[in-house]
Amino acid sequence: MSHAYLAYAAKRLAQAFVVILLAYVLTFVVVSILPGDPITNVLRDPQNGFTEDEIKAIIAAQGLDQPIPVQLWTSLSHFVIGDLGLSMRSNRPVATLIAEVLPSTLILASAAFAIALLLAVTIAYGTQFVPKRLGQGLLRGFPSLFLSVPNFVIGLVLIHVFGFQLGLFRVIAPNSFWATFFAAVALGIPVSARIAEVLIANLDKESEQEYAAVARGRGLTEMRLFAKHLLKPSSLPVVTVIALAIGELLGGSLITETVFGRTGIGSLVQRSVSTQDLPVLQAVVSLAAVVFVLVNLIADLVYPLLDPRISLIGGRRVRPTAADDSAAATPAAVTS
Amino acid sequence: MTERFSSLSLSRRHLLITTSALAAAALVAMADITPAQSAGGPPNGGDITFLIDSLGSTWIPNNSSISSFQGHVWGHVADKLVYVDADGKVSPWIAESWEQSSDATQFTLHLKKGVTFSDGTALDASAVVANLDIWYAGRKNEGINPVGLFPKTYERAEAVDATTVKVFFKAPTLGFIPTLGYHGSILISPKTIAQPATQQADLSKTAGSGPYVVVSWKEGDFVKLVKRKDYNWGPAAVGHTGPAYLDSITYKIVSEPSLRVAAVQSGQADVAYSPSPQELKSLKDAGFTTATPRYLGFVNGLAINTKLEPYNDLKVRQALQAGIDRKEIIDTVYTPDWKLATSFIQSNVPGATDHSDLLAYNPGKAEKLLDEAGWTKGAGGIRAKDGKQLTLTLYSNPYLATAKSIDELIAQQLGKIGWKVTIRAYDVVTFGEKVRFGGPTVPAYEVTRSFIDAGTVASILTDANNGENWFNLGDSDKRLNELRDRIAGAASTEIRDPLLDQLQTYVLEQGYFIPRTQIVQRIYVQSPRLKGEVYNGIAYASYYTATKGE
Repeated sequence: MSHAYLAYAAKRLAQAFVVILLAYVLTFVVVSILPGDPITNVLRDPQNGFTEDEIKAIIAAQGLDQPIPVQLWTSLSHFVIGDLGLSMRSNRPVATLIAEVLPSTLILASAAFAIALLLAVTIAYGTQFVPKRLGQGLLRGFPSLFLSVPNFVIGLVLIHVFGFQLGLFRVIAPNSFWATFFAAVALGIPVSARIAEVLIANLDKESEQEYAAVARGRGLTEMRLFAKHLLKPSSLPVVTVIALAIGELLGGSLITETVFGRTGIGSLVQRSVSTQDLPVLQAVVSLAAVVFVLVNLIADLVYPLLDPRISLIGGRRVRPTAADDSAAATPAAVTS
Repeated sequence: MTERFSSLSLSRRHLLITTSALAAAALVAMADITPAQSAGGPPNGGDITFLIDSLGSTWIPNNSSISSFQGHVWGHVADKLVYVDADGKVSPWIAESWEQSSDATQFTLHLKKGVTFSDGTALDASAVVANLDIWYAGRKNEGINPVGLFPKTYERAEAVDATTVKVFFKAPTLGFIPTLGYHGSILISPKTIAQPATQQADLSKTAGSGPYVVVSWKEGDFVKLVKRKDYNWGPAAVGHTGPAYLDSITYKIVSEPSLRVAAVQSGQADVAYSPSPQELKSLKDAGFTTATPRYLGFVNGLAINTKLEPYNDLKVRQALQAGIDRKEIIDTVYTPDWKLATSFIQSNVPGATDHSDLLAYNPGKAEKLLDEAGWTKGAGGIRAKDGKQLTLTLYSNPYLATAKSIDELIAQQLGKIGWKVTIRAYDVVTFGEKVRFGGPTVPAYEVTRSFIDAGTVASILTDANNGENWFNLGDSDKRLNELRDRIAGAASTEIRDPLLDQLQTYVLEQGYFIPRTQIVQRIYVQSPRLKGEVYNGIAYASYYTATKGE
């Protein structure tokens, strides 16, 4: 591993740490200045019978009478050592709540990601090799269609058709294989659209390159050409899109989990927003930021290893310019 | 699907097994018995799934027992000292009998023997004292709230012996015994009560004495209950005291209402909670059982802020009372299962009296009252006085799915007599934050509230003794204060009932409370195979007595 790569990796790690820190602070500030006062909102419910002095005592006991910077410091120092505090509503440790639901979301997101990837590659392949008279145009329209239909609509349609009409799964058992599969389809479809869009654009460009023409001239079948020569250079930019898709999977899981009655990070966020459970909200948003930053960090670190055309100068990633790009000899991938 | 495919590819062994099973089934059918029915009683066994929109946010017993959602679970996991039926009739349960002093400040409860919590602890007098204490006071510094509507006059309780509890009050508290059947008054093991709040929040660590125990649960997902085989102390009023018939009940969250109903229709679940009222007729016609039990409590209506102009004017409030066509609300928004309001408390509450005459729709009278109050019709039919328009902002109650539809209808009705009505719809959190009784921008607070004894009503209308001051009157209305104090001090229902009647008349005549309809907040759709459930005074369905057929 070269010096340049290590310097680049160290710089990206430091940047990631700063971004996570800023994300935590920003979340804390936003959550703190949200309209409404979740503590007194509950305590002042006349049915609970608290006096003003008691309410003040409870607020003080939770440290919520301290200035915001003091609360932020306390919260951040606990977060760093993995103490996420107690849920304001359920009185259970936030870490326990997250640990209970995380596996379900990871399974759903992984399945959705696999489906998205498969769907995107299939569509992209189709756009290159399905003849125009057999619906190539239709295939090119799929990404736009997938992006324009909200995933809760897709989810409800899937539930009604495959759950109720065909009886393939039961809504009361949302973690069964088929229920998870269809939830993953609902979540994966919009994600597949973004990957397919980038893949199609790159395949269009690659298939016009001279090396592709030469390969065709040597009698290579379209399938072999796609699998052996076009897919790899066209897929490199997809690494970036995939990193961004993690955010979409996390956000989309909120709706998909609610529609399919699954418990997961999404449904936890939905509950904590609707009940203004700030410690849970703070923890989940911060952890989502950590995941997002880490995935993008990995993408950044892997990219120079995958693409030999990228050179690292002074810890920065530099793409080849049009002038020094030896496009005639090597595949020129779209890198942005 | 796997089973279906394998049954299609019959091997000889499959054929043999299938034939044997069919023959056995035929023999059992010919003998006209099933194993479940062999004892001659209702069929034992069966599992049901109850689909619900939410299961609340905490399982600390004191904080969650009065939740419209968690109350369903607690009703099966925990018992109460008395049973209150749908008509408000109080009967013995864990308390076999009771006596009260002539001034209703001391009560003696005699408990059933041999009752235990699911953790093995005896449900004896000391356990009841521990429960009474925490219902009254909670442990506020830990975030364990007192139980709402538990008498604020509670002083102390003492265990006289293992089965006798003496309870003392600072003032006459006639409503004490009925309150013991309130959904907040659930009996929990002293071991659970002694746990810190974080432990109490873990449902699997909570022990009740009810016919079911929690076998598994996941926050925000489901709670599965299985029956206690040694349960033998059910309330006689439901006609059964032994173990429950159904093996298990699973409460599963499905937040989308149409999915809940569709799951019952497709046979995937047995009960769907909170379907839309408009769906009930078609579901009934399709053979499903629907239930719209009324709880004991206030009707759905508006508590008027008498400090806010123009609602500080009696004539304007009375015009509002006469200007609402309540029958049209039922005909348009609901079904015939809903009942017209006859007072500001539900008609099934003992002590409720019929004041339909005060709630008759009379737009002519309303217009006359507004004219007399100086509100004259101007451009566009909106009334005005001193350059100010006659306005009313309605904040739709987020706890009632039909609230906004009713508000829209009321806006039309009042619009015809010159009111300019604005509707605001907030989510639960924002509603709780912005909309309060007597809030500076809240002319009318939309009430949905249950209670078990009408004696508690008067005490929350004003601000005395930590009351809720519904009409923002403070202590200023001498007549209301007098009725409140006399009702609170009444030592018998014979004394109290005429006072309650006077209170209802006064509140309605003054236009302090504008009833809309009697409330049905808990609506159920269930499979026709499930029978025998019972609805108590708080309109919760109990499946303790239910059976599931083929």
